[in-house]
Amino acid sequence: MESGSAPARARSERMPAAPAWLLGGLLLAALLEISIDAASGHSPIVPRSPNIDGWLSGLGEHLGFRIFLIALLVSCGAYAGMLALWTFARERAISKRFVIGLIALVHLILFVGPVILSTDVFSYIAYARMGVLHGINPYTHGPLSIAGDPIFHDVGQDWVRTATAYGPVYTLLSYPIGWLGLVGGLFAMKLEATLASVATLVLLWRCAKLRDLDPMFALLAVALNPIYYLYGLGGSHNDLIMLAAMMFAVSLTLAQRPGARREGEAAAVIVAGALIKATLGVLLPFMIISRRRLAPILGTLVALAAGALIAFIAFGVHGVDIVAALNRDAALVSTDSFATEIAHLLGKPGVFPVDHALLKAGLVVIFLHLLWRTWRGYDWIAASGWTLLAISVTSTWLLAWYTLWPLPLAVISRDRRLFVATLSIQSLFVVHQLAPLALPVK
Amino acid sequence: MSEPAASAERGFWDRLPPSLRPLDVELKGAGNIRLVETTLMILVAIILAVATVNDVVRQTGVNNRLNVDKQTWRAYTGRNYHNVGVETTVFGIASTRDVVCGNTVAGPPDGKTQECLLVVGPIRAGRRQVLGGWYVPAYIQHNDYAYRYGCFGSATKGLCAR
Repeated sequence: MESGSAPARARSERMPAAPAWLLGGLLLAALLEISIDAASGHSPIVPRSPNIDGWLSGLGEHLGFRIFLIALLVSCGAYAGMLALWTFARERAISKRFVIGLIALVHLILFVGPVILSTDVFSYIAYARMGVLHGINPYTHGPLSIAGDPIFHDVGQDWVRTATAYGPVYTLLSYPIGWLGLVGGLFAMKLEATLASVATLVLLWRCAKLRDLDPMFALLAVALNPIYYLYGLGGSHNDLIMLAAMMFAVSLTLAQRPGARREGEAAAVIVAGALIKATLGVLLPFMIISRRRLAPILGTLVALAAGALIAFIAFGVHGVDIVAALNRDAALVSTDSFATEIAHLLGKPGVFPVDHALLKAGLVVIFLHLLWRTWRGYDWIAASGWTLLAISVTSTWLLAWYTLWPLPLAVISRDRRLFVATLSIQSLFVVHQLAPLALPVK
Repeated sequence: MSEPAASAERGFWDRLPPSLRPLDVELKGAGNIRLVETTLMILVAIILAVATVNDVVRQTGVNNRLNVDKQTWRAYTGRNYHNVGVETTVFGIASTRDVVCGNTVAGPPDGKTQECLLVVGPIRAGRRQVLGGWYVPAYIQHNDYAYRYGCFGSATKGLCAR
């Protein structure tokens, strides 16, 4: 849609329309409410944490489910409004500068505010401290082995006996953070997540442009997605680093002059990303099949050999055995998983081993179908996104940030169904959180 | 559709039958596959939506019942303790018969002898009916049959080991 004359365009660049201000204001107000209330202290939504937000405490009230869920719904409404506004009115309603400013503010608020909705970041710090301060291999022991370390009290109780499930590249990247103390380490993790998010968004913009898609829509759809910033950034999850690696690899394959070398490098980046979080590895077969060249296979093999060698030197044989960690995590069950919801619908108390087997079989069928489709010319980026979405839907251990995996691919894929499906799954996840809102107010 | 992929080894793949050969771009006939895929996805989406809404309704009912169960325990025992535990699945996921336990004297959660009540029925005036109960020693799981003793009330026959 054309936006009118050059002066009008310039004016709109300076001054977004009132609905954009309203939606942006709502989004920021909801985020500020969550961050300020979260700084009031520990709650079911706010994990115990080293004190990094003392200057905010006293401004808000204890963050309970009700306030959080209302803020989440407001954020979702503002997000949907922003997408609709951009789709129908484009530059007349929202300027690029406005969106980038809004995204920067969201990142800033989450960087200075408390960690919310997950204790994972404390596990990351605990594993780093185990390695560099206590000389304990995080692939063979859980944080319980450093029960005397001050970070231990912030690690989620479910994970104190659990050895790290993250890849050796991530563990090595996080090791220097172990030397920074609790507060320094936590801010370093927040900085890492913020930089990873910025890198993901910059690469996303680049990929959308290279595919002749609307980069502003892509940016809006990912950066202002409430699950992306509240759950992903808010919890400083290393999934953001995985997403940055994913988008870097995709951008290499979309380069204006793709060649064997670029494809080899892209494959190597995917392997490196999979050595941060193994899920990313599912992109490789689709990329290799779509390219049908030797270079990505060679890139994969070289990166795998280098990664395995580094992992073995640093962590011994346990650092190489990512499959064991994946199998262990695949057996976990969360109340938010669709498998659990369907079990309840069928009158079963939960997920049984046979259900795990059925879900795995379903995932394999989807994977093979997508491989075949890619072989026959389907967009490999979309196929990868569908697979990541299928993994999150069939996983018995579904967490909010797992639904982020397909999102950047969905907005740059040529199959719009993927974007609709990803947002639908995220919407169902949000709906599933809403039960506390139906309880009477005390 | 895919990005134009290089196909240096095209000659190699040409040996395959046309229906098995790799393609750089999807054929137009792929619309049928899309239709089947979309139909399946809509079906899956409907199932997931129904399951999600069902679970939210179930959770809402359970959460409300949990609060009422705790209030019932406090009213019945006359002890206004904060830490009262409710087990909702002792009699199966579909059952609304809950076991509610709390300390008999003030102390850490589960740290004293526990008095457990069997709570049933609909919510009336913010309470549910107590059919009976039992005691368990400190630090014992509430529904652990082997440790229950002193069963009382009409519907606890056979629920106590001692």
